[in-house]
Amino acid sequence: MENASLVGLSRQVTLRRELDVIANNLANLTTTGFKAERVVFEEYMMPVARDETFRRTDRRVSFVQDLATAHDQAPGALKTTGNPLDLAIEGDAFFTVELPGGEQRYQRNGSFEINRDGELVTHEGFRVVGDSGPIRFEPTDNNINIAADGSISTVNGNTTSNRGKLKLSRFGDPRALDKDGVSTWRSNAPAEAQLPTTRVIQGAVEQSNVQPVVQLTRMMDVTRSYTTLASLMKSGDDLRQEAIKTLADVQS
Amino acid sequence: MRAMYTAATGMMAQELNVSVISNNIANMRTTGYKRQRAEFQDLLYESQRRVGSNTSDQGTMVPTGIQVGSGVKTAATTRIMSQGTLTSTEKDLDVAIRGEGFFQVDLPDGRTAYTRDGSFELDANGKIVTVDGYTVNPGITIPNNASNITVNSLGQVSAIIGTNTTSTVLGQLQLARFVNKAGLEAVGDNLFLETAASGTPQQGTAGSEGFGNTLQRYLEAANVNSVTELTDLISAQRAYEMNARVVTAADEMLQTTASLSR
Repeated sequence: MENASLVGLSRQVTLRRELDVIANNLANLTTTGFKAERVVFEEYMMPVARDETFRRTDRRVSFVQDLATAHDQAPGALKTTGNPLDLAIEGDAFFTVELPGGEQRYQRNGSFEINRDGELVTHEGFRVVGDSGPIRFEPTDNNINIAADGSISTVNGNTTSNRGKLKLSRFGDPRALDKDGVSTWRSNAPAEAQLPTTRVIQGAVEQSNVQPVVQLTRMMDVTRSYTTLASLMKSGDDLRQEAIKTLADVQS
Repeated sequence: MRAMYTAATGMMAQELNVSVISNNIANMRTTGYKRQRAEFQDLLYESQRRVGSNTSDQGTMVPTGIQVGSGVKTAATTRIMSQGTLTSTEKDLDVAIRGEGFFQVDLPDGRTAYTRDGSFELDANGKIVTVDGYTVNPGITIPNNASNITVNSLGQVSAIIGTNTTSTVLGQLQLARFVNKAGLEAVGDNLFLETAASGTPQQGTAGSEGFGNTLQRYLEAANVNSVTELTDLISAQRAYEMNARVVTAADEMLQTTASLSR
């Protein structure tokens, strides 16, 4: 068997996938609340491709396999927008939003809007969940104020009225979260209550945490490794061809 | 290669971002203009190895799967309806609104449009109109022999008629406000139209709760901050370049693959 070619191939397949992930990170460089991903690889030991007839046993052939994509949950930089409905979270919590079917999703993107019914919604139209149901504003409300603990108050007439409190969800194990596209995350594990240190910041959004320098360096690494492997495979191929030629030469 | 298409979505997103930013910069001096911001979302993910799938009969599970995203899409161009700076103009019929409301303008086709641009004029009949000649609700007419036109903070237009010593109230400007004013549709000419997302307008007068006050001889400048826009422009341009680099990298890899076969 041509193990060298196959080992090289296994790495090339994973490198291509890694470039896909890097491309996605860089494409989302300006996506609000986006979390960068990286591919985690593992070594796969081939259990059968070994030969122990020689005195010193062969090493087992080792392939590479992509195991997982890990999300980097580091916070992104805050960008002040001045829009009262732009919110950012300081801490590891998520905003809780509700799909039309009632299922809950989590997101770090805190750029919200008000729909025609006066409810606080995401750009997709999903309702933002408060401690007691959706958050609804009256048409006469003005000066929306969202405190650091997520409680929302507005001025209506000469009185200040309370419009609920944002439900912030936290997950002890960030691996429990699964990306859903459209800025949202899905969780298999139930959400925990927020920590007292979690703060909501009004008038700012969290930018994507993609570090372009890291991504570009990885990208260069990926393309170079790919090229190196290609030339390695080619030299393996040349070697074989040479061997066939030489061995087939009839000695006169 | 997927990376190429993913990077292409990134380049398209940044192109749109630059368009939005350049429109903001172009309207830096437009009366009553409200800046926009492009909002992006990640696209769907392809699960190569699904999270939570079983890895053995004993019920062990994949803790984190392999998810490869397919790029970015534009979610919204949010309009930021914050108050612009008021600038003094010393023109009698320039009126700015401090607060939430919009002036109502009757379009020639019968619809009502909403604007924050209060640079009004008089038409041949003495009616208060916008610079495009559309009637400002409720159509206040100022007689020929009027002088000393004043608009008070409640939107009341009054003037001294002929040789009178006291001013006469000629009418009161009507304002409108919306639950979701960011949901208004901009149609150019500094005008906004009501949409299903904005909700129906509530009419009222300046000075009543939430509508804001009118201020004569002032205009509301655009709420564009040139420094922010230029910073955003630079970062959009760099993001575009980085996505272009990904296309090159993917192309290089493809080329390597192509040169393998003989």
